[in-house]
Amino acid sequence: MEMFSEVLELFLSLDNFIAIALGVVIGVVVGSIPGLTATMAVALALPFTFSMQPVAAILLLVGIYKGGMYGGSITAILIRTPGSPASACTLLDGYPMAQQGHAKKALKTALYSSVIADFISNIALIFFAAYLAKIALNFGAPEFFWLICFSLTIIISLASGSMIKGLLAALMGILLSLVGLDEVYGSQRLTFGNYSLMDSISFIPLLIGLFAIPEIIEFYRKKALPHIKAKASGVGMTLAELKRCLKSIIRGSLIGVVIGAIPGTGATAAAFISYSDARRRSPNRDNFGKGEVEGVAAAEAGNNGVAGATLIPLLSLGIPGDVITAIILGAFMVHGLTPGPIMFQENLTLIYALFVGIMFSSLVLLVVGSGAIKYFSLIADIPKSILFPIVLMFCVYGAYAVNNDTFDVWLMLGFGVLGYIFNRAAIPAAPFLIGFILGPMFEDNLRRSLLIGHNDLSIFVRGPITWFFIAITVGSILLAIYRFVSARRQLRRDTTQEAS
Amino acid sequence: MKKIVKAACLAACSGGLVLGASVSTASANEWPTNDVRLVVPYAPGGTTDVLSRRVADLLQDELDANVVVENRPGAGSTVATGRLARGGRDVDHTILMASPGHTIGAAIYPDLAYDPVKDFVFLQNLIDIPNVMVVPADSPFDSVNDFVEAAREQGMTFSHSGVGSSIHMSGELFKTLTETNMTAVPFAGSGAALPALLGGDVDVSFENMPTVLSHIRSGDLRALAVTSAERSEYLPDVPTLAEIGEYNLDQFVTTAWFGLIAHESFPQEAQDAMSEALASVMKREEFLDFAEQLGAEPGQVGGEAFKEFIAQEVERWQEVAEQAGISQ
Repeated sequence: MEMFSEVLELFLSLDNFIAIALGVVIGVVVGSIPGLTATMAVALALPFTFSMQPVAAILLLVGIYKGGMYGGSITAILIRTPGSPASACTLLDGYPMAQQGHAKKALKTALYSSVIADFISNIALIFFAAYLAKIALNFGAPEFFWLICFSLTIIISLASGSMIKGLLAALMGILLSLVGLDEVYGSQRLTFGNYSLMDSISFIPLLIGLFAIPEIIEFYRKKALPHIKAKASGVGMTLAELKRCLKSIIRGSLIGVVIGAIPGTGATAAAFISYSDARRRSPNRDNFGKGEVEGVAAAEAGNNGVAGATLIPLLSLGIPGDVITAIILGAFMVHGLTPGPIMFQENLTLIYALFVGIMFSSLVLLVVGSGAIKYFSLIADIPKSILFPIVLMFCVYGAYAVNNDTFDVWLMLGFGVLGYIFNRAAIPAAPFLIGFILGPMFEDNLRRSLLIGHNDLSIFVRGPITWFFIAITVGSILLAIYRFVSARRQLRRDTTQEAS
Repeated sequence: MKKIVKAACLAACSGGLVLGASVSTASANEWPTNDVRLVVPYAPGGTTDVLSRRVADLLQDELDANVVVENRPGAGSTVATGRLARGGRDVDHTILMASPGHTIGAAIYPDLAYDPVKDFVFLQNLIDIPNVMVVPADSPFDSVNDFVEAAREQGMTFSHSGVGSSIHMSGELFKTLTETNMTAVPFAGSGAALPALLGGDVDVSFENMPTVLSHIRSGDLRALAVTSAERSEYLPDVPTLAEIGEYNLDQFVTTAWFGLIAHESFPQEAQDAMSEALASVMKREEFLDFAEQLGAEPGQVGGEAFKEFIAQEVERWQEVAEQAGISQ
């Protein structure tokens, strides 16, 4: 009981509330601007936290992180420009929804599923941190390898339409991901002596180019101003829709939690895995990619489910799972605190005060997000002839801002042309993206496993985690083949019936 | 429509605020006459970035001018360093936070367009972070000697945070000096490398002190040696590698150093102003507390001595990289 009052005393200060609110607002705004990521905002805010109380300092950074995670979805939905890599998956259904006049519905869906996922992630952090941290430690290179193999099977469900085209796009993504420094030998691959390519192709210019630019090209090619009949922003999400999506949201959140607890996988992968899982199970499977509410919900649940869970390895093991948590680790250290098992013994009150603040931040996200939607959804009503030049400016600016490098702007425009060709040839962009993200992880973990195991292949079947992922990978492929064959059979039956 | 414009303006303004729009507050001093730009050659969030932001904060008071931190990541710090070497307009107000990437980069990146020693002036070495040779808690090895003897018999693996990091090169240096059979296992950063070490997937690592200190204290990792010339005050019972006295390890002294450098044309008065300001910064309690949190020792060398140190480092890593067959 004494502990309880100490925790409250530490948490209940105006500074903490201001820190959370300010953090979430900064996060949502920065996250929604293409090229400015939550990572940058957290890094830039870090020096301001040096003079703050530790709890307020960490809560400010966590607030930015969470706000940024949601904010990225706003521009993804409205202008097909993912504000952050993790929201690339949201636009697959979010943008078509906005096109059909349901911008507000898409934004609200993203917000509600983000908040629910965030809440579930926080609960996992508070109650299962120790348990999940143990799983994370058992996750070595071979386990990672199979997790990536399983994740690669989601290409099958993302390759809407033609499987050949989907695989082609994925292979192209993998090919481009090979550019840069070889992780093992340190040699340069496919860089042609260009310094801007030595760290690999920058992800954000690729994203912006691939998704935003084709829309702009398409618009100017047709030169037709769409006639706007009614307010395009539309109405919000209905309770029935929320109910329908709830299962996908919860499943997506749990996927996010597990992925977030394992250092080094990331929110982008979580969003895609959650999305493809929802698609595989949904009765509206065929509507995915064409503006399905459930698609937006699953993608956002996946990436926000990661937010709280990435703090699990940080707080319980002192291991930062991504760049943002590495910065937050820095903030802890500036205040003389070292995350890890010892902190749970020495600074338990502080940790609980942080937990209270983190729970509270979900609520703040809901309030700030609702406010943001009110204004941001107006963007959907702006005539395209005015909107697109502004979007183009943001694309150039965003591509440049990542590394302060003009080469990235050319890269972005190049990917814009590629994206346009993809659109015209009906090649889906999502598998390309998955190939680009997962390709290097696949290669690195394969080689890492072989190095650790001294080239003995038995390391790939070394324990229950590997067996589990092998089983679901094989299952996922078999399911896809079964669906493919039965769809073919159905088609044949239909045609013979028609013929007779 | 008005509302939209209002919202757009709001968004743009807050974007500008976040980017840290800078207003000059330069005083009547001779130098600086402008904002000082501190280039961080790595992405936001790493040790170099955090240190730079802390130093920029303190330097601002001492110089009575804005110190603007700018991240220019790419190719293990060589992109930003190459750009500084090329010179340009603001070169008399630009400083760069150099780290082992500066000397190792010169060894492993082919066709660098600059000379890592001649093209720069070396202002001040700010901090030195020792690396620690650590093994998992359940490892059978209790001393460096045990480890070397075993590693000569059987193959061992060591984890590192990326090709060309000080952690990687320390491992390669150890392998070369002790003539042992060790395989490098690369990870994307120390955060990803640590679980492999804690879980016992790799046999040993030469991690930076701040990354592993709490794990050594909690007993999850065992420190066999530190790589600095003197024992670290944070781990007083752990010997230095040089102390081992065998296997050529007396030549093994290396730390992750961090220091400020500038273009070779950096004016003398600016160099003087910077050394004075940095000397005051390094005495400030905030700086010393911060160094302690990193498990670091304040740097010792500046000016010519710093330059000499860099020249030796470049030569040393070139040899190690050649022997390890890394790049070039």
